[in-house]
Amino acid sequence: MMNETWKVDARDGKLAMAHIYVAFVALALGGLAGLLQVLVRSGKFELPAGISYYTILTTHGVLLGLVLTTFFIIGFQFAAVSRTAGTLSDRVRFWGWVGFWLMTIGTAITAFYILIGEASVLYTFYAPLQAHAGFYIGLTLVVVGSWVSGFAMFAHYAKWKKAHPGQVSPLLTFMSVVNMVLWLVCSLGVAATVLFQLIPWSLGYVDRINVLVSRTLFWYFGHPLVYFWLLPAYMIWYAIIPKIIGGKMFSDSLARMSFILFLIFSIPVGFHHQLVEPGIDPAWKYLQVVLTFMVVIPSLMTAFSMFATFEMYGRSKGATGLFGWLRKLPWGDARFFAPFIGMLFFIPAGAGGLVNASHQLNQVVHNTIWVTGHFHLTLATTVVLTFFGAAYWLIPHLTGRVMTKAMNRLAIIQTIVWSIGMIFMSSAMHFAGLLGAPRRSAFSTYGDAPQALEWIPYQIAQAVGGTILFIGIILVLIIVTNLAFFAPKGETEFPVAEVAEQAERTPLVFENWKLWIGIAVVLILIAYTVPFIDMIQNAPPGSKGFKLW
Amino acid sequence: MKTQLNTNTPKTKVEKEPALKGTLASVLFLGFFLIFTWVSVYFLFLNRL
Ligand code: HEM
Ligand SMILES: [Cu+2]
Repeated sequence: MMNETWKVDARDGKLAMAHIYVAFVALALGGLAGLLQVLVRSGKFELPAGISYYTILTTHGVLLGLVLTTFFIIGFQFAAVSRTAGTLSDRVRFWGWVGFWLMTIGTAITAFYILIGEASVLYTFYAPLQAHAGFYIGLTLVVVGSWVSGFAMFAHYAKWKKAHPGQVSPLLTFMSVVNMVLWLVCSLGVAATVLFQLIPWSLGYVDRINVLVSRTLFWYFGHPLVYFWLLPAYMIWYAIIPKIIGGKMFSDSLARMSFILFLIFSIPVGFHHQLVEPGIDPAWKYLQVVLTFMVVIPSLMTAFSMFATFEMYGRSKGATGLFGWLRKLPWGDARFFAPFIGMLFFIPAGAGGLVNASHQLNQVVHNTIWVTGHFHLTLATTVVLTFFGAAYWLIPHLTGRVMTKAMNRLAIIQTIVWSIGMIFMSSAMHFAGLLGAPRRSAFSTYGDAPQALEWIPYQIAQAVGGTILFIGIILVLIIVTNLAFFAPKGETEFPVAEVAEQAERTPLVFENWKLWIGIAVVLILIAYTVPFIDMIQNAPPGSKGFKLW
Repeated sequence: MKTQLNTNTPKTKVEKEPALKGTLASVLFLGFFLIFTWVSVYFLFLNRL
């Protein structure tokens, strides 16, 4: 069966749900680590039994930044391609399971080495901090597993294209393919540093490592990583939310165009994380900053498209005045409310991102807790609230249940709790960061330095916000458990939006993969080749491994 | 991509462009906020030079 199905096949649903279970287990454990961090940083609490702050912080970053995201995204995308391009073939589904188990076993191995305190190298894990080889080997399995799943999705897409020559592919399938292409291209970088540098070095085959190369390969991966998180949220905004509110998509072409722009411009930009890195010529940093700012274009296209979708819907319901359409939106529906609040948080998040990416302003905030405040808006609010909102229909759809009114209400409360907690925590982080408070450090007054004493009130606010957020995590876990195991049986819709009548027909050019991947590769080569040669040819002596925890 | 904000292109009455005034106001506000934040931190940067 190759056509759009209204219901995701039960076997595909199982595959998607397996990913989603792992994602929410990661949220539970990672959230607990987050709570411990804010408590430690308030200065009123110390970790028991000599547990290192960095063990907790690595757990938090890996489980939430890498595991929760990757599992939820791949599970969601399997459901989305099954829903829009037809039930998966047995072979595709089989490889989906292979990918799932590789990722799960890899996660277990990595988590084991973190928890026994052999791998407190943070979720960025570049040299010279050195973990036990098992940490890197587990991560390799996670990445390889995600590739297997990515190729399974590509195969499913190719089969659809073959059965529908000359037709534009379903939007959610197209978007999933873009996201997996992005992931594949960027994770080659992290695979290279792990396989050729970190594993041989941690096993003792080589003594020293080129730190700059390892950091550069990490950030070649690390920035597109954030778009790998964000694009599924955009899928939900563009292609699902309009249906939930009862409206139409503003434009299918605009959505595809913005995804292609993200594919092209989100990779050759890793240097914006390395603006204070001494070994890179400023001219190359400048080039990559310019490319970074190109991402503003698809971001603003997305913002425009969302506002337009909402306004068109509101006006079709008779709204008048400049903002009357806002009142017509379904505020009581958690499937809409949670992602919508996520969108609102993306406004300060985006503003902060422009600051981070500007070379001079980056010096104000670099490695301060401002940065942490920033990505708790982007990732831990915009993306995560959108994923929660999606879980509220996706899980019951896949498990053959319906969300009760009471659970919907709890989900609205969850969103509000999350927002309040995050406003406290993230604002405190932003302000403390502007005052110079470092990220990635436990509590210290730095010998009662006056500057460090200024941070304390913010660290208390951060702890208050973080505690409220932790309550938010408990609430969402209650809802998810209910939807997966206890909610009443029934049919829940997997919403997929239609395009507005006035919108232009979508041209096929967006699926000219050779063209777009070609452009992406050319830009990557332009942005990275010369600096990379420089890093290798003019390398200082390599570094030994450090275990500072 | 036809449905855009240029309201002064001549169009037949039947095929009316959707009125997106609220969207225009929203994106203008968004742009203003982005610039405001950037400039604020820029002045902080200048102050600390
Ligand atoms: C209860 C909710 C949460 C709390 C209290 C919390 C708290 C924190 C704190 C205090 C830090 C920085 C610590 C430091 O730099 O010393 C941090 C880092 C981080 N958080 Fe969260 N967080 C929460 C939820 C999340 C969520 C939902 C995500 C992602 C989906 C997330 C992703 C991260 C990442 C990737 C880091 C960076 C770790 C590093 O710098 O190595 N957090 N979190
Ligand atoms: Cu980045």
